[in-house]
Amino acid sequence: MFLMVSWLVATSTMLQAGGYEVSLHGQRQVGMGLIGTSLTLDASAAFNNPGALAMMPGQLSVVGGINGVFASTAFRMEAPSVYQAKTDNPLSTPFHFYAAGMLTDRLAAGIAVNTPYGNSLEWEDAWAGRFLIQNISLMAITVQPTLSYRVTDMLSVGAGFVYAHGAVDMERALPIEGPDGEARLHIDGSTGNYGFNAGIQFAHPAGFQAGLSYRSQIDMEVEGGDALFSNIPSSLATAFPANNKVDVSLPLPANLDFGLSYQATPDLLVGMALHYVFWGAYEELVFDFEENTGSLPDSYNKRDYSNTLIIRAGGEYRVTPEIYLRAGGYFDPTPVNSEYFSPETPSLDNLAFTGGVSFLPIPELSIDASLLYIIGLEEDMRYTPENFGGSYSTRIFIPGIGISYQL
Amino acid sequence: MTKTHILPLILLFLASLLGGCDADIDAFSPDPGEADFTTFVSLGNSLTAGFMDGELYREGQHNSLANLLAGQFMHTGLEDFNQPLMHDDIGFGNRLILAEADGQPLPVPMPGTPDPENFENKYNDAGPFHNLGVPGARIQHLLFEGYATLNPYYQRFAADIPTSSIMGDALALNPSFFSLWIGNNDILSYALDGGEGEHILPPEDFRVAFQALVGQLTQQGASGVTANIPNITQIPFFATVPYNALLLTDPDVVALLNNAYAEAPHISFELGPNPLVVYDSDHMAGIRQLEKGELVLLSALNGISNEGWGSQEPLSGEYYLNAKQIEHVTNHVEAYNDIISETASNFNLAMTDVNQLLKDAEPGIYFDAIAFNTEFISGGVFSLDGIHLSARGYAIVANAFIEAINSQYQASVPKVAIGNYPGIQFP
Repeated sequence: MFLMVSWLVATSTMLQAGGYEVSLHGQRQVGMGLIGTSLTLDASAAFNNPGALAMMPGQLSVVGGINGVFASTAFRMEAPSVYQAKTDNPLSTPFHFYAAGMLTDRLAAGIAVNTPYGNSLEWEDAWAGRFLIQNISLMAITVQPTLSYRVTDMLSVGAGFVYAHGAVDMERALPIEGPDGEARLHIDGSTGNYGFNAGIQFAHPAGFQAGLSYRSQIDMEVEGGDALFSNIPSSLATAFPANNKVDVSLPLPANLDFGLSYQATPDLLVGMALHYVFWGAYEELVFDFEENTGSLPDSYNKRDYSNTLIIRAGGEYRVTPEIYLRAGGYFDPTPVNSEYFSPETPSLDNLAFTGGVSFLPIPELSIDASLLYIIGLEEDMRYTPENFGGSYSTRIFIPGIGISYQL
Repeated sequence: MTKTHILPLILLFLASLLGGCDADIDAFSPDPGEADFTTFVSLGNSLTAGFMDGELYREGQHNSLANLLAGQFMHTGLEDFNQPLMHDDIGFGNRLILAEADGQPLPVPMPGTPDPENFENKYNDAGPFHNLGVPGARIQHLLFEGYATLNPYYQRFAADIPTSSIMGDALALNPSFFSLWIGNNDILSYALDGGEGEHILPPEDFRVAFQALVGQLTQQGASGVTANIPNITQIPFFATVPYNALLLTDPDVVALLNNAYAEAPHISFELGPNPLVVYDSDHMAGIRQLEKGELVLLSALNGISNEGWGSQEPLSGEYYLNAKQIEHVTNHVEAYNDIISETASNFNLAMTDVNQLLKDAEPGIYFDAIAFNTEFISGGVFSLDGIHLSARGYAIVANAFIEAINSQYQASVPKVAIGNYPGIQFP
């Protein structure tokens, strides 16, 4: 398992939800439009709502899964212009792993390992926005040990301690040309920090469930990351110290989630969720270079994101005891300020449709597949401080597969 | 059995969707509006020709204002655009490149012998030409029949060397659209002599010539774009060397200089930056120190740095512009620009405010996420000669031309992407 995790760590970065949030936290939740807060399906509750974990069915649950993110962004330069560019993103593979067990009748313990934030994109070579970003790979992996307690039959609470490991790797061009071509800046660093996740779950015997959870903001503060300048002409070498270091900080914003679900019939489950993301925390992206020169001051890049409310809805239908079908959708307005829109995170208003299926060869084992299709609605955006604007449009296609085992 | 078939079916469905998951964006629709770009001729001087780094050379011509405009007009109906290209990137042999000296980039002459072919007239082999920008041309030269006998850059491509005029060659192409950017050299030739040479063409004469040019070009119904003239205060050749460029750090040198000028008590030196000493025949003593606001020409820099100019040896009049001369230049630039605006308006032409564009660029400006300013070498707008634009500088100006055209003719000519053009090449 650890071998697998470390391989995944190396390749799992993605661009999926608003900003650089990734909400692929379980194939069954994905199939239902990413609702999860009020669901007590399995160990995935440890992440989706720690309060719900003590209400999971059975004594032991193990869930694992992986998604493949096929994302592409198209750009057309601000009118009048016929210039267009596209991303040529590598496949990214966010994953999730959850395990939980009932320690007593009322107390559950679990662990969640997943990738709630990330962003990976590669713009085509030498594209017009390369002085802002050529490629970026950003990711956060969180590990969250969790305890949950069922206070009454109808109410349970839970909380988890979150350790987040974050890594950033990005490259942009500098408008400096020499014998080796255009100069480049490559920034690479990683860091870790702590936070928490807490929730409360209410279940009515008539089939209603409600959940509320909160995940705290975690600031990823890279200190002394590598800032490597390449292709710097020798006559400018002193202006761009070759092996510079950089401090850069990025918030993983807090989330507040509220979910409602209803087991309408023994075969039909419907639900919705409100996912509020405190994106306002992302005001500025600062590159604080260890060694500054006249040509290399620290770089302050305004972002000025806004908090967003994402509305999600979905349902699950049991066709036979072995087959479940799911469908859902959501609308995810962009947190990005249209005047400070950087192509490093081309996050648009997203309209998403989801579907999913589970197959249970034996009652304890479920093989779950999901499909998420996101349309990033075309919009004119600009990065005003550097006079770079245009229309962006995205399409993201995310198939996923997972298994869950339950006793 | 049916259940086990579901998963492969879903996978097949997923695979089929993959083809449709590529983001797409509608193309921009260029539109000529009320203008007709079928035949485009470009008249002007070095700035139209593609002159940069002190020379007209092949790569510079590819990035000429005229060629950049033509490339965009191809989207709105232009069929053919022919430039009188040099055979190579040496041209007549005056090109500058950057070399490393003491770890600093410094413009030096590019090595290489000019190919005789660069001087030969190309009209019969490769003409006629649509880029009629001629380095060195002043406004009255455009109507001058036989100008090719005086200017080797025109001699290269004139239809008939003894009798052709630039305007005649332009009209022979029966243009539907033209660009006309002229007058810069009338100002510059005065300023480049430090105001010591001949006077600037009076505005009355400029008006007559400009109206004649526009009148002839529009006679057959062509529309077009013109542009005004930047002031010299934004041009690195005049804005790089400060009036107080004499930096003294050694008290002994200060004492030595004060001693040397003991007989001219109005001249004194101290530690730190000092105004340069210049010859000035209007001054009682014949020499004085420069005052703030006066402009030193870039051509004096080497002498100041290495030959004691402005300190041991006063700077002669052709290397600086005094306040009166600067005012003379500024008045003429303003008068010319008023005439250009007024004429453009009378003839319903698009008018590009290059004067304002360079003023805006002076403190620093971003285009397409590239930072520019008007500083010498590092600023990116001007080429290594400090007078002519760089490839990206021409791209910036081309976009300003396109904005003016689109606004005047309700057209949608697409702009260029600035970053697609080469920047200054550092060693």
